[in-house]
Amino acid sequence: MKRFDCMTKLAAMLSDELVILSLGASVDEWYNAAPHMRAASLFQQQLGCVTPQAFGLAAGLPDRRIVSLDTDGGMMFNLGILATLGNEQPKNLFVVVWDNECYQSIGGPPTHTAFGRVDIAAIARGAGVPHAYTARTLEEFEDHCRKGLAAAEPYIVVAKVAGTVQPDIRRKHSDGREDKYIFVRHVEATEGITIMGPSEHN
Amino acid sequence: MQQSAVDAVIRGLKRAGVSIVCYLPDSLFKELYPALDADPDIRTIRVTNEGEGAAICGGVFLSGKRAALVMENSGLRASVEPLARMGLGAGIPVVMLMSYRGDMGENNWWAVPHGVTMEPVLQALRIPYVVEREEARIEQAIVDAYELAYASYYHTAVALSGSIVR
Repeated sequence: MKRFDCMTKLAAMLSDELVILSLGASVDEWYNAAPHMRAASLFQQQLGCVTPQAFGLAAGLPDRRIVSLDTDGGMMFNLGILATLGNEQPKNLFVVVWDNECYQSIGGPPTHTAFGRVDIAAIARGAGVPHAYTARTLEEFEDHCRKGLAAAEPYIVVAKVAGTVQPDIRRKHSDGREDKYIFVRHVEATEGITIMGPSEHN
Repeated sequence: MQQSAVDAVIRGLKRAGVSIVCYLPDSLFKELYPALDADPDIRTIRVTNEGEGAAICGGVFLSGKRAALVMENSGLRASVEPLARMGLGAGIPVVMLMSYRGDMGENNWWAVPHGVTMEPVLQALRIPYVVEREEARIEQAIVDAYELAYASYYHTAVALSGSIVR
């Protein structure tokens, strides 16, 4: 199963959602797989922070569906967030973990999931998120996305994907500040709120 | 903490517009946490480590709500990686309220490293901070920390010490 194909399936189901995703090659893939979600996606968040940030966003916007596109390396960097999700039970958070069993962006050395013992979905269930599943086919992944995007409790799908990157796609230029401003202005426009407003004097 | 100091913290958080508090409990703020839990205007989120709490606070910032990360100052060390990435890399601010372990008067050996490292770590991250030891200054210190954080889009910190926490 290729991550880009999964992204294409997921993207087709999204419109009003907000997405936070990990750094790495998935940035370029999501940029191309979901062009209509570019402003609604905060790109390039770091290991261990993607799902916590998505949860914080979900806590602040309880009427908005939030999607976390996390990774095996990122989730294992901070497994504690699974226990926090288990206790907090957010109703509007769908988590995808792209599990390619490697640290792809630095050339592919294996993560802990590469040896057939570590099961992130099982860890999540043990942490109090019963709707945590592993998808190994595109059909399974699509089915979990459909359910996860409609769920009224936290829903996690660990997508077992190849360690390859979609070839010949347009690279996204990323800068943390520009990405933040684009995302924040989108949240402001779609929620009718001000997050980063004018200071006292100009 | 005296009840009056707990009240001052909560007044400060409310004046600053805070509606979500992430915390990992500690002993010096022992009385503060249940008061935050009980406050109808504040949602508390208990976290497994302070770095996770910092990242959740960053996500809350992106929603337009205001969050606080409340912790012992040892939590600053656990938060350095997400603070550096979010703050220096993206300009996503986190406001921290810390108990100052290891300050003058500390009587626990294990807390000494917290005092040794807190201010150098804040300075290394270029995080503006104040150390308050008088209850009368708590409320305004918290309000001021949010003013600066939302003007700079960078972290700020308030550490409470002295008679406030002993």
